[in-house]
Amino acid sequence: MRALADIQRTFTHALLQPVLRVPDAVGERAGTSRERRFRVYRNNVKASLVAALTARFPVVRRLVGDEFFEAMALVFIGQHPPLSPVLAEYGAGFARFLEGFEPAADLPYLPDVARLEWARHAAYHAADAAPIGIDRLAALAPEDLHDARLVLHPAAALVDSPWPIVSIWTTNSVDEEVRPIGPDHGAETALVTRPRHDVLIHRLPAGAGVAIASLQAGRPLGEAIAGAPADFDLPHMLAVLFGAGAITGLLKGAPE
Amino acid sequence: MINRTTNAALAAAVAAAALMSAGANAQTANADKERCYGIAMAGKNDCAATGNNSCAGQSKADYDAKAWKYVAKGSCATMEVTLKDGMKRKGTLSPM
Repeated sequence: MRALADIQRTFTHALLQPVLRVPDAVGERAGTSRERRFRVYRNNVKASLVAALTARFPVVRRLVGDEFFEAMALVFIGQHPPLSPVLAEYGAGFARFLEGFEPAADLPYLPDVARLEWARHAAYHAADAAPIGIDRLAALAPEDLHDARLVLHPAAALVDSPWPIVSIWTTNSVDEEVRPIGPDHGAETALVTRPRHDVLIHRLPAGAGVAIASLQAGRPLGEAIAGAPADFDLPHMLAVLFGAGAITGLLKGAPE
Repeated sequence: MINRTTNAALAAAVAAAALMSAGANAQTANADKERCYGIAMAGKNDCAATGNNSCAGQSKADYDAKAWKYVAKGSCATMEVTLKDGMKRKGTLSPM
């Protein structure tokens, strides 16, 4: 008798590879043939994975069109079958896949838009935490600010891009009518947060992405902004961070 | 490059940021909102009451009676949508 794991491996492998024959483990029954029954199973798996990607990447889908998206999703599914039984975790590698997907090469911003959409999805499922107000930081003595460490919300994520991804995302999801994003829109860095139930996207001022990544890595405030350019707008960055509900705690002093 | 950010400069930046965020406290972002059912376009819902679409942005029909959207408190019953058959309907605070 073959091990169950063997049977399962053959079965799952054949599910996503239409050229492979029906696994032996699928037995004969009265009524519908085993080939036909397996095709139904195969089709349901694919349809559910396409549906998951469609729900997760609505702006990518809008940018390329429904038909193109579905074809692209099927190529992705064939190359990247789910590694986890949790459907909510499916699609993590989609942005990277898009980078190398030749037919979509005309839309160089597509992978970063996908990254932003994945960050929204991840933020949605991230742990809850209560944001603190900026009054907490303002209450610190001036000499404590340099070494203060800001604790970022588990849902907070940065998406940095040479393309205007926040503008592209916004006009394709929120605006009644899509407005053209011209070449005058430069690079944009997005801060994704979920202070309560809603996932929010904020455009960060230039230079803030590096500083926030540094804060996220646990560095104190003074150190995180030390490498920022001279025209860096610190008040703006702090207002966005606290206003977006991205900060959930404040630690005084150097890490142990 | 900021070579050495002085404590005074940091304090000034924090104070300026506090002024900028006054009145826009994220903690209370949804506190003045209510769940309004039956008004969300397909894929634009904030969440669902029951059924298959587990959450945000996944409702499949326009104005799904079981999908809700956050709206300003007190405004739900004034939200009117026109259904496919031309009927008009107001939002409700519980699933229809």
